[in-house]
Amino acid sequence: MSSDQHSDQPPESGAPWGEEESVTEPTSAVATHEGGDAPARRAEPEYTLVGGDWEELPDAVEDDLMVLNMGPQHPSTHGVLRMRLTLDGETVVDNEPIIGYLHTGIEKNVEFRPWVPGVTFVTRMDYLSPLFNELGYCLAVEKLLGVTDEVPERAQIIRVIMTELNRISSHMVWLATGGMELGSTTAMIFGFRERETVLDLFEQVTGLRMNHAYIRPGGVSQDVPEDFVERANTVVTEIPNRLQEFEDLLTENPIWIERLKGVGVLTAEQCLDLGVTGPPLRSAGIPYDVRVTDPYCGIETYDFDVITGEDGDAYARYLLRIEEARQSVRIIEQALERLQRTEGPVMLQDQKIAWPAQLALGPDGIGNAQEYISKIMGQSMESLIHHFKLVTEGFTVPAGQVYVPVESPRGELGYHVTSNGTNKPYRVKVRDPSFIHVGALPTATRGLLIADVIVAVASFDPVMGGVDR
Amino acid sequence: MSRDTNPNVTLGETAAMREGDLELERTLPDHLVAVRDRLVEAFGNVAEGDADGLEVLADRRELTVVTGPERLIELLAFCRDDPALQCELLSDLSGVHWLGGTHEASAQATTGWPTYTEQRTGRIEVNYLLTSISHGHRFRVRVNLDDEAPRLPTATGVYSVADFLEREVYDFFGVVFADHPNLQRILMPEDWEGHPHRKDYPLGGVEVEYKGATIPPPDERDY
Repeated sequence: MSSDQHSDQPPESGAPWGEEESVTEPTSAVATHEGGDAPARRAEPEYTLVGGDWEELPDAVEDDLMVLNMGPQHPSTHGVLRMRLTLDGETVVDNEPIIGYLHTGIEKNVEFRPWVPGVTFVTRMDYLSPLFNELGYCLAVEKLLGVTDEVPERAQIIRVIMTELNRISSHMVWLATGGMELGSTTAMIFGFRERETVLDLFEQVTGLRMNHAYIRPGGVSQDVPEDFVERANTVVTEIPNRLQEFEDLLTENPIWIERLKGVGVLTAEQCLDLGVTGPPLRSAGIPYDVRVTDPYCGIETYDFDVITGEDGDAYARYLLRIEEARQSVRIIEQALERLQRTEGPVMLQDQKIAWPAQLALGPDGIGNAQEYISKIMGQSMESLIHHFKLVTEGFTVPAGQVYVPVESPRGELGYHVTSNGTNKPYRVKVRDPSFIHVGALPTATRGLLIADVIVAVASFDPVMGGVDR
Repeated sequence: MSRDTNPNVTLGETAAMREGDLELERTLPDHLVAVRDRLVEAFGNVAEGDADGLEVLADRRELTVVTGPERLIELLAFCRDDPALQCELLSDLSGVHWLGGTHEASAQATTGWPTYTEQRTGRIEVNYLLTSISHGHRFRVRVNLDDEAPRLPTATGVYSVADFLEREVYDFFGVVFADHPNLQRILMPEDWEGHPHRKDYPLGGVEVEYKGATIPPPDERDY
């Protein structure tokens, strides 16, 4: 057998292992190199070991720049973001963000499914504000179909409530992760605790804590449960108290101020040139909010303020986000009141577009409503055919191209959707604010210390799911 | 997959806007009419006989102006600097690939009438979405390029945000932006071959089998 032959080899070759090792000692190795035509060995550098200040070292060291890769597997880069930092000592000379580690081809995948399943894809992009992704996509589809005005009032109110709740939960995660990146575990625990109250509401309404696929072209997938208003009111009255807790903990905290003030500054002009929108732009003093400039879902009829800051640094963005969460609470309170007064459907009445399936909350979570199933399976063949055609083939959308922005917690989230008149999107391009903000990081971090880079990145709140799509 | 069998690009049943909607959608709101008039005044209009002028499109109450690659940067700089337009933000820059080859122009399977086909050249349209915060308007500047070796001048000199956005269009569509400071792939790996958002680039995937029945991968399904 061949294995036996191999095991016989070493003894036959003669010399035991110990002897061979002694032959290849360093000195003799050098001797053989000199004898052959191999390249000559480099001269050993000489070190003189003395102490001294950095400034007094020879000039050769002064010009040395070091390249440091921060990420992608780094707990404080806010996700799988890699930054190639060029450092002079500890000061950042240049910063090149390298992205794509979370690229999943969502935009391409959407092109191969009917229009409605597209919602389940886009909700997975920016996973901290899934409802904004759904809303932007659905508004774009509705605009292409020309049915924007036919979406029922009740559906519009529910959309406003859900997205503004989502803004609060997203800002809470920002505080949590941003705080943790600075070592403030209290902020982390507080932030995730507040977010949990909102996620419980989402779970009650949509059946899921994330990736809801709740907002659909033409409305929302189902009405809210009966006790929703009551539960939402409890959450919404509690949130301002919790926000006050944050302010008590952080706003006057000397460490928090020391770390955040003057870090990651972008002036208004820089923001506009770099395409930066949302909290970073508003913290630099420009009151640009898509809810005001391009209102959606009747949000212009609610009473709220667009918050602006002055300094354009990380601290201004912190104050602004806290205040924005308060404004969201104001909107939700008004919307909950309207919801109680508004009856009616939550989906478009056009049966050629409206999703046919009816959902209901069962003992094992949200699923198909039993009544609806018995109707299509037992009583009405036409309903079954209609259901089958609309669920598998979907509806066709007239050819055209639209751009619809919504104000996501991170900035202007735009859906640039092209249709060629078939039952599938021809191209869905997402203008994700996180992507644009990562492009602005070199400008915002130049000249900072490494420790401040973490603060600067956190203050933009990029979500890598949205950056890489 | 060959270009002709890609179900994603066949123009099958085409939906029409409902009656009455279409006319309304083709009209522009007043503030965009002012933008259109300002642009046409400065750059000319193809419809009025200016050979290198703009082509003006209106759809869904959105304004699109189509220009050639030669005057693109001039136009973008004009939109940014002109006091009546003042587009401070380049909101978005993206591409759409339209395949060349034979396409069905109209088909009536049930009547037995002949199928009409038309020949098209492949093109990539690049859309620049400009936003003015001061005046509150938004419109699109479009450039149509041949999909063989598409090339455009870079807009990074006018808007810095174009740096990342142009890299994405290069990565996904293969449009080369001349003089771009760092034209590399951005989302795909550096050594990736092909440009994934072109329509002749397959999605890929495998058949899924369950209890003897199979479902083809998404880009081979016939619905």
